Amino acid sequence: MDELALLHGYQTVGAMLVGIGIVGFLARRNMIVMFLSLEMMLQGISVTLVSWSRFHNDWGGQVLTVFIITVAACEAAIALALVLMLFRRAGGLDVLFWQQLRESNVEPFIEHELPEPPAEPADRWPHLPPAGIEPQTEEEWHRSHV
Amino acid sequence: MFKIETLMVLIPGLPLLSAIITAALGKWLLRSRSHWPAVLAVGGACLLSVLLLFQVRREAAALHEAGDAQAAAHAVGYEKTYTVWTWAVVSRALPARATFGQQASETSHSADPPGTTVPEDSSTSADARSLEIGITLRADPLTAVMLVTVTLISLLVVIYSIGYMHDDVGYWRFFTYVSLFVFSMTMLVSASNFALLYVFWEAVGLCSYLLIGFWFTRPAAAAAGMKAFLVNRVGDFGFALGLFLLWTTYGTLNFHDTAAAPGILGQTLLADPSQYAGGWVATAICLLLLLGACGKSAQFPLHVWLPDAMEGPTPVSALIHAATMVTAGVYMVTRCTPLYLVSADAQQVVLLVGMITALLAAAIALTQTDLKRVLAYSTISQLGYMFIGLGVGTLPGIVAGMFHLFTHAFFKALLFLGAGSVMHAMGGVIDMRRFGGLRRRMPVTHWTFLIGALALAAVAPFAGFWSKDAIVAAISQRVQDDHHGASVALYQWVFWGSLFTAGLTAFYTFRAFFLTFYGEEQIPEEAGHHAHESPPVMTWPLIVLAAASVFVGWCFQRGQRFDHFLMQTPSLAFSSAQATLPAGEHGGHGNVAVVSTLVALIGIGLAAYLYLGDRWEVAWIARRLRWLYTISYRRFFIDPIYMALFVWPLRGLAAFSYWLDRQCIDRLVDWVGRVPLAIGASVRALQSGLLPFYAMAMVFGLLVLIGILVR
Repeated sequence: MDELALLHGYQTVGAMLVGIGIVGFLARRNMIVMFLSLEMMLQGISVTLVSWSRFHNDWGGQVLTVFIITVAACEAAIALALVLMLFRRAGGLDVLFWQQLRESNVEPFIEHELPEPPAEPADRWPHLPPAGIEPQTEEEWHRSHV
Repeated sequence: MFKIETLMVLIPGLPLLSAIITAALGKWLLRSRSHWPAVLAVGGACLLSVLLLFQVRREAAALHEAGDAQAAAHAVGYEKTYTVWTWAVVSRALPARATFGQQASETSHSADPPGTTVPEDSSTSADARSLEIGITLRADPLTAVMLVTVTLISLLVVIYSIGYMHDDVGYWRFFTYVSLFVFSMTMLVSASNFALLYVFWEAVGLCSYLLIGFWFTRPAAAAAGMKAFLVNRVGDFGFALGLFLLWTTYGTLNFHDTAAAPGILGQTLLADPSQYAGGWVATAICLLLLLGACGKSAQFPLHVWLPDAMEGPTPVSALIHAATMVTAGVYMVTRCTPLYLVSADAQQVVLLVGMITALLAAAIALTQTDLKRVLAYSTISQLGYMFIGLGVGTLPGIVAGMFHLFTHAFFKALLFLGAGSVMHAMGGVIDMRRFGGLRRRMPVTHWTFLIGALALAAVAPFAGFWSKDAIVAAISQRVQDDHHGASVALYQWVFWGSLFTAGLTAFYTFRAFFLTFYGEEQIPEEAGHHAHESPPVMTWPLIVLAAASVFVGWCFQRGQRFDHFLMQTPSLAFSSAQATLPAGEHGGHGNVAVVSTLVALIGIGLAAYLYLGDRWEVAWIARRLRWLYTISYRRFFIDPIYMALFVWPLRGLAAFSYWLDRQCIDRLVDWVGRVPLAIGASVRALQSGLLPFYAMAMVFGLLVLIGILVR
């Protein structure tokens, strides 16, 4: 197979992964989804690196990819633990719960048009919606806190 | 017998050791025994100084007899130097100069001020410019005389202080300072180097400051210490400039010859006096050094600190502000005699300063009511006398000035210690209007004070007579020699002025004496049960000093021993060798002696008439000559004038600077500080705390970056 065509293919896949990751990161406010988008970007970069490595017949890119995977694993562990803690504190996964690190004279960002939160937050556990199905009930409850 | 070098090191070394011991152990261990190190050390130093004096005398005599043919050609006077260690070396023998040695040294010659005629070959010229300051001590007759005077008076004062300072909180501190002072003063007179002289010149000033402000909780004492220090700064500034000028002129600061360069007062230059720089350089050097001497010796423009210095403990007034430290200026000018002989103008300035000071201080002393202040002004006046002697410009005059220093140390210390004894008995009161008729209560103090007063008034057999007479005789000789000279009027004026001052001296001394010890017995209530004779530890020094005041003048003047001995000092031996100087007939001044004794007796008689018993004339004179009395009592308004001329303008300047600093510079700095704040405030709104916003910003940043890279 043509090496260059192969490279093109891989590069395209890598670029798409990064692009989807960026869009996901910017568009979503669920911390776990944002985190997954981040991981997706990492994978896109890894694919790109590996393909360039293959193309140049150089091990450097693959070695770097192994490092990325390792670091991503560590990061995943820490990030999920943090997300869990943040969820327990705020009672939700929305990233906009956490805007205290702003300047004291900047107004907080509040979406007023959303309904009031229920009186008592149930102790629920965060969970991902099943793949391919649009989240319904949970989503509303989360957004009510913003 | 000790080697002479050992003596030279031990004399300052012992007081230094004592100062260290009392400073380290005084507060915790020695306490009321703190005087022992000081007494032992100063006593040892005194003994060694006397030994040194005899050794110097023997060796100088041996040098004199060694054969005039050889000695006169090579050695001018007797001196011995000993370098303890080399303190600082700044080598100016740069590589460039070494490479272009000939050329560089030529330019250095041409860069010298005009009038410099120090002939050196080009190879030594570069080396001579490398500054090398050694801790070099010297022994010569002048130093030996000063050492004996200083250590002897110090010993007596230290013993006296045991009684005077007992029960004081700062007992150990006092003896630390005094030991430190004795160390500094002995180093000052032993230094064979202008830089070292300057260092210890400042060190004695420091000791003086510490001891004036010894009772620092009293505001007056603290202020007096500050004043003494500040006024001395003016003089020391001139002294420092003088040293710089000496350095640029002669390329060395040593008194003695070294391998590198001939010293300023060394044998090489003395053997050929034409090598001394003349013209304006010489005059400038002399006047700047004189400014330094004026500060330290409380001469006319800078005399204001000495009367205030009487706030210190009385033994300090006796030791530092009457007998030893204030004579440092006289010592320095005497040491620099060869420099002064080159410049006749500078000599006349010395004479004038001395005359004005002597007369002014005597006039002020007439009406003061504070016993110690009377003595302080008499000290200033007598120092003026010494400067007159130095300014006459003949060798007898200079030697007479030094002789007066020597005798004055004894009787002035005696008078101060006597005043201290009175003060001790009167519970700290020193105002003569508040006590009187103390002669029965304090017989020893009375008699010793009388002897001191007679010596100060220069009555015939006492010490002061011989030295003051020698000074007046030197002036009269100068008047005769300069009969057709241009400045004979000056010398004549000084002659009559000094006689008049002698009369004033006798008057105010005995006025103080009669007011204190005669008349109706009157004791202030502060005295309490103290109003009796002082303990023996205080009276014995008085008795010793009184005996010295009786005999010291006569003993040393007999056969002109003092003169012959002192003239073997290199600086002075050179002067006697110089042909231009009239040697002066020393013995034939009988007329002058009679006149000055007569003047002194008139002064005493007048004082006795006015102040023995209650005379209406005193009040009458004070009333009739109201303005003269006020001027004298207010000390010629010199303090207010200085306040108006210097203190207030400087205070105004300080206030203005404060305002400028606060209002202009601080505000400017504040504005500079506000700039980052303003920039920060303008972009503060971006810090929203929203993570998606930051992510968006990052992506946009990335896009911009990529855009730049791609383009």
